[in-house]
Amino acid sequence: CEKACMMYSKFVFIPVTRLHEKAGLLNCVSHFASEATFDVKKCDLHRLEEGPPVTTVLTREEGLRYYRTMQTIRRMELKADQLYKQKIIRGFCHLYDGQEACCVGLEAAIKPTDHLITAYRAHGYAYTRGTPIREILAELTGRKGGCAKGKGGSMHMYAKNFYGGNGIVGAQVPLGAGIALACNYFGKDEICLTLYGDGAANQGQIFETYNMAALWKLPCIFICENNRYGMGTSVERAAASTDYYKRGDFIPGIRVDGMDILCVREATKFAADYCRSGKGPMLMELQTYRYHGHSMSDPGISYRTREEIQEVRSKSDPITLLKDRMVNNNLSNIEELKEIDVEVRKEIEEAAQFATTDPEPSLEELGNHIYKNEPPFEVRGPSQWIKYKSIG
Amino acid sequence: MNLFQSITSALDNALSRDPTAVIFGEDVAFGGVFRCTVGLQDKYGKDRVFNTPLCEQGIVGFGIGVAVAGATAIAEIQFADYIFPAFDQIVNEAAKYRYRSGDLFNCGSLTIRAPWGCVGHGALYHSQSPEAFFAHCPGIKVVIPRSPLQAKGLLLSCIEDKNPCIFFEPKVLYRAAVEQVPVEPYYIPLSQAEVLQEGSDVTLVAWGTQVHVIREVATMAQDKLGVSCEVIDLKTILPWDNETVCKSVAKTGRLLISHEAPLTGGFASEISSTVQEECFLNLEAPISRVCGYDTPFPHIFEPFYIPDKWKCYDAVRKMINY
Repeated sequence: CEKACMMYSKFVFIPVTRLHEKAGLLNCVSHFASEATFDVKKCDLHRLEEGPPVTTVLTREEGLRYYRTMQTIRRMELKADQLYKQKIIRGFCHLYDGQEACCVGLEAAIKPTDHLITAYRAHGYAYTRGTPIREILAELTGRKGGCAKGKGGSMHMYAKNFYGGNGIVGAQVPLGAGIALACNYFGKDEICLTLYGDGAANQGQIFETYNMAALWKLPCIFICENNRYGMGTSVERAAASTDYYKRGDFIPGIRVDGMDILCVREATKFAADYCRSGKGPMLMELQTYRYHGHSMSDPGISYRTREEIQEVRSKSDPITLLKDRMVNNNLSNIEELKEIDVEVRKEIEEAAQFATTDPEPSLEELGNHIYKNEPPFEVRGPSQWIKYKSIG
Repeated sequence: MNLFQSITSALDNALSRDPTAVIFGEDVAFGGVFRCTVGLQDKYGKDRVFNTPLCEQGIVGFGIGVAVAGATAIAEIQFADYIFPAFDQIVNEAAKYRYRSGDLFNCGSLTIRAPWGCVGHGALYHSQSPEAFFAHCPGIKVVIPRSPLQAKGLLLSCIEDKNPCIFFEPKVLYRAAVEQVPVEPYYIPLSQAEVLQEGSDVTLVAWGTQVHVIREVATMAQDKLGVSCEVIDLKTILPWDNETVCKSVAKTGRLLISHEAPLTGGFASEISSTVQEECFLNLEAPISRVCGYDTPFPHIFEPFYIPDKWKCYDAVRKMINY
């Protein structure tokens, strides 16, 4: 952009106003607002006198950052879809497109030293918690450049202060409470965000965890990502009460519009402050939607109509909502955002290239990391004559 | 019919013969993730074929209650890997009900079905074979069929059996295995192993998908080594038919047991231990176990992990040359 300005000024003198008409060059002449105030939907409250604020300020810099992150996740998921259909990714693949506002909004409200744990729809969180795209895609394709060295796959991605990536439904919730206890114990003012879905909300261990967290006032935010379907079962058919934010009973709860990144951010800030002040756990229900089926083996249209998916895409898409807000309030313009789109696409292409060409882990990896042992021990193989060395 | 169709047929027979029979589990109403219950809700109604929420412990606990009250409960656990939240209910409640109440109560009409075994792309949590965990629990029966014909007969026997049964269905065979299966009900007795092929040099024992692998190994051994193998499908893991296996080993003197589950503590260890007790003097070579590695079921190393025909063939060769 600077180069373009210089080029123009070398050959011809154009008044700034005319430059304005030549779209795309004006980013350097910052006529954008630096921030804007937005209204967010009021959250339903359970056992709380007041909730998160209903207005929030979004700066231009934040807006561009959120937009880029959400677009990166969207394109990454679509690329994973493509690679899966080409059979380069195999196994299970649960895609996150449609729910980007949740992970980006959550991350915007917490610190990198806070902790997060979620279930298997984890690619978005792996990215927001700091894993580079190429490592995520390489993990999906099972290569050694993957974040779990290719041994975990789609459901088992980890990063600093991000504990996965868990396959068994609901099993990560007691873990989240444990992490919160450790936060308390170490006294470092950190909290743990423990995520689960509307399907997992009916698991017994969730309720056991609510009890423990409330009893011991753990700094744990329980977050139910309600995307209306537990695999193929709609929430009405699975739950006696679909008010997931109330299910914590004695734990205060808020219901949040999960398609609006600003609403998610404000609610999370509110909940994080509550937890950090030592008042105990809080429950957040994020009402969101996923465009893909439960996993790549689910077409996603046998239990819901294409019209429904289309309607959500056209009226509540999180990326479009942010884009419209930014453009209509002069925080950015279409061209700038398109540039971001192009850059993101390129980044994803390069990452996919890496993911398809990186070599697979060597066979010795099969026996490694079962236990932690100083001297490597032998892992018995299929018969008494095959053994692998296990390095802990 | 293929395997899932034979299961549907068995369930259809069970529901029509027994007015108290109910089928429940996650997503069974529309037919199930493997299509084993297709059409059953339309035929028998929502009160007999219904979905449960996502709660395995709840499903099995609820099933035990249904069975104790006198109805026939057929519970589906979506993948055998998810059966662990229900492990307490199965081992502590279902298995011990008759024993602890002095036969006053029982949950014999409970049958739990679960897809089992590796499938090529299942990774850690869609490929497990947990039969060894349940083999350690007196009071329940554990059954694993190898084909559609076997599956229907064994499943109907499990449903009829007056003891709580766990029926593991090899998921890789759901579509792949096709056979002529009668539409009418028929029963295959439990706790009876089947000798598929007679032989005189080596006994090969397996169950589920692995039976097909060892059949191939038997052919390979015959062609390349001139070794005659006796192939046995164990069918019921608990209580297992040790008579058939021991009789066979007394004849051949060599035994190979193969399963996908990890080696240490896998069911092959129980068979091996019992056979060496009963047939010590008949053994010509140490008993061979060709099983999965002692690691969690891997994401991408699956072709190396599973006990394929080459590993079994190699073990046979080593036993012959012992």
